[in-house]
Amino acid sequence: MSSRDSENYIKKMFREYYLKWDGRPPKEYERREYGFVPSRKGDVLRHVSFNDWREMKEFLAKNAPLHVYYSSAYYLQPSAQDMESKEWLGADLVFDIDVDHIYTPCKERHDKWLCLDCNFNGKGMAPEACPKCSSKRIDGKAWFCEECLNVAREETEKLVEDFLMSDFGFSEEEVEIVFSGRRGFHIHVENDVVKQLDQKARREIVDYVKGMGLILEGGRKKAHAPPLNASGWHGRIARGVYELLVGCDKEGAGIEEGTTKTICEKLQESKGYWLVEGDVCRAWLSLAKKAVASKRCNIDERVTIDVKRLIRLPETLHGGTGLIALRIDIDGLSGFDPYKHAVAFNSGEIKVKVAEAPKITFMGQEWGPYLNQVVEVPTGLAVYLISSGNAEVSP
Amino acid sequence: MSFSKLDLATYPFLSSTARIIEELGVSFYLEELLSPTSEVFLRSLERIREAVFYRVTTLRRRDLDVEILSHPVALLIINAMEDKRLLNIYAEAEKNRVHEGLIRESHERVLLLAVDGFGWHIHKEGDGFSLRFDDYLKASTHMLDPYWKLVNRSVRGGYVEVSRKDVCRLLAEAYRARILEKGAKRLLEGLPEDVKPEVEGLRREVDAALPKGKAAGLIERLEYNPSAFPPCISKLLQEAEEGKNLPHMARFTLAAFLLTVGKRPEEVMELFRKMPDFNEEKTAYHLKHVAGEIGSKTRYLPPNCASLRTLNLCPLGDSTCPKVKHPLVYYARMLKLARKRNHE
Ligand code: SF4
Ligand SMILES: [Zn+2]
Ligand SMILES: [Zn+2]
Repeated sequence: MSSRDSENYIKKMFREYYLKWDGRPPKEYERREYGFVPSRKGDVLRHVSFNDWREMKEFLAKNAPLHVYYSSAYYLQPSAQDMESKEWLGADLVFDIDVDHIYTPCKERHDKWLCLDCNFNGKGMAPEACPKCSSKRIDGKAWFCEECLNVAREETEKLVEDFLMSDFGFSEEEVEIVFSGRRGFHIHVENDVVKQLDQKARREIVDYVKGMGLILEGGRKKAHAPPLNASGWHGRIARGVYELLVGCDKEGAGIEEGTTKTICEKLQESKGYWLVEGDVCRAWLSLAKKAVASKRCNIDERVTIDVKRLIRLPETLHGGTGLIALRIDIDGLSGFDPYKHAVAFNSGEIKVKVAEAPKITFMGQEWGPYLNQVVEVPTGLAVYLISSGNAEVSP
Repeated sequence: MSFSKLDLATYPFLSSTARIIEELGVSFYLEELLSPTSEVFLRSLERIREAVFYRVTTLRRRDLDVEILSHPVALLIINAMEDKRLLNIYAEAEKNRVHEGLIRESHERVLLLAVDGFGWHIHKEGDGFSLRFDDYLKASTHMLDPYWKLVNRSVRGGYVEVSRKDVCRLLAEAYRARILEKGAKRLLEGLPEDVKPEVEGLRREVDAALPKGKAAGLIERLEYNPSAFPPCISKLLQEAEEGKNLPHMARFTLAAFLLTVGKRPEEVMELFRKMPDFNEEKTAYHLKHVAGEIGSKTRYLPPNCASLRTLNLCPLGDSTCPKVKHPLVYYARMLKLARKRNHE
């Protein structure tokens, strides 16, 4: 069977999904620009806008696009062809947490890459450039496993709870978490305070969340250590150090028992900043650095800084997986399983010819690994394997 | 809230003064003000001279009405002279004057000024204040010192802890930014004929006081806006801020870029102070040189993209990069975009 059949099959399934689609519009939806990818080879269709959400539903049902995007920005003329005549009015604050950009050890097991120029290849996270011929044309095969999901989830929880809610004071209603449809989460903040922030201000927020440009108080000999309840990064560092010391990581910290005890006790007692000197200071600084590394949040900064970017529309399908970009509330995050909750097609099974796939837990059941074989799998998994380019429909 | 006339003269950002400034552009008595014998006109010229020669303006208590009006009229004149550099200097000088006034104010007054002038969400907190993070960011992102970076501040529940001293700096900075924003807009079709000789005289003085560098053509149109920096410069800046030991060429590139976009050598010096092998004298000498203050007297420009690439200083950042051959061109492009955006 040809890839044409596979494409037709996907189109048919997507159309089925969009015929019943009832996605909630983003805030001030008529001020947004929309973009669509109609088919695998097609260009992005941009500068579309809707004055009535019903038109959007009709559009989706009619065209069943592979990808649907909307602007985090609000424009006076969202359908104007160039950025200047659109007239920017503001933008939501958006964060992208994507395992594509985060190292996870499991990638050594399930990810592969290939240099399209010299055929050099390897396992694990795809490099930026080929180590052999330094070409940037790298083709990667990536999977999103349980471990990857945990990392993405942890980063998202950190971002939403520690940073957005506690430090920046946003309420649960203002922060929306959306499964990206593939390997991560998008976090949207919709409120009037963030709307007007310019790129400079957004960069500062990015640096804050990533702990970039942080100055650790004091020098090599003497420093002032913050108390556990300090606000901002100071308290975060104190708590991070404390967790490192009481946690199982004691040896990993490579610090003497006595020093460890001193710091631990001081942190427990101190209400204010306290002085660290000599050996303790050295230990403190090295612990503080580790604390920063564990407390910082791994976001893709470009997405947050760019105020004119398109981002996947919640509740639409991801053309590379066939999964739904599902809205998730913060309490539901820890139990979220993309291969169960974000599956759009839940009935029936079909036969596919799988080129290669690792073992995967789908709808609570284990499938694979497969290598060049025809198998009968649930429709959702079939759509997933075909969309991600790992299988074709089989007669 | 009512403020005295003296307040309005001292703090032109107060809402009532701001209204006068807004209205002046369309008002019928502007012609009267812009005449060679008008006291307001003469005081305005003097304000500009103070800015150019002393980098700080003064406050005259003699006639507060004249004083209040002379600031907006000075802005009209600078605007008509179409000299970006002069606008920057005037804004800086006004900022310095206002700052000196602010630091003498009480807690309560600082609070009132911030709320009335800029609508800040601010309240007293312990010995200092709590300022909402968006208000904080609008003013603080103009400052180069990492002290102001949000990551180095106490942030909780959407509010940033700031000392009284901080608030004074931030207010002065917000005022400077407002002058630049106002001054960049076209305010007037042209000056009346009879004041032109006076203004031409002023221009000659200004030109003599502020010699133009070789690259002035490009430089003059550039303002300081870190968010428009090309990836190569942002990266170097960040590494410098983190106290990384940068190689010579990297330092030169960063210094030449920052000086070109309006940082003073002393400010760049502060940045380099964090490097492990910092040597004050040597660095000062280098910076003055790069700035064109000594030696060949030519201002140096940062290297172009091709050189940066061979020096391994080009991270080949984003989609704008492939379209430019020089980091300054990247910067100019992004500035243009940013300016367009701020112009609704
Ligand atoms: S291409 Fe030029 S502007 Fe872009 S990062 Fe490289 S040096 Fe900088
Ligand atoms: Zn290669
Ligand atoms: Zn994994």
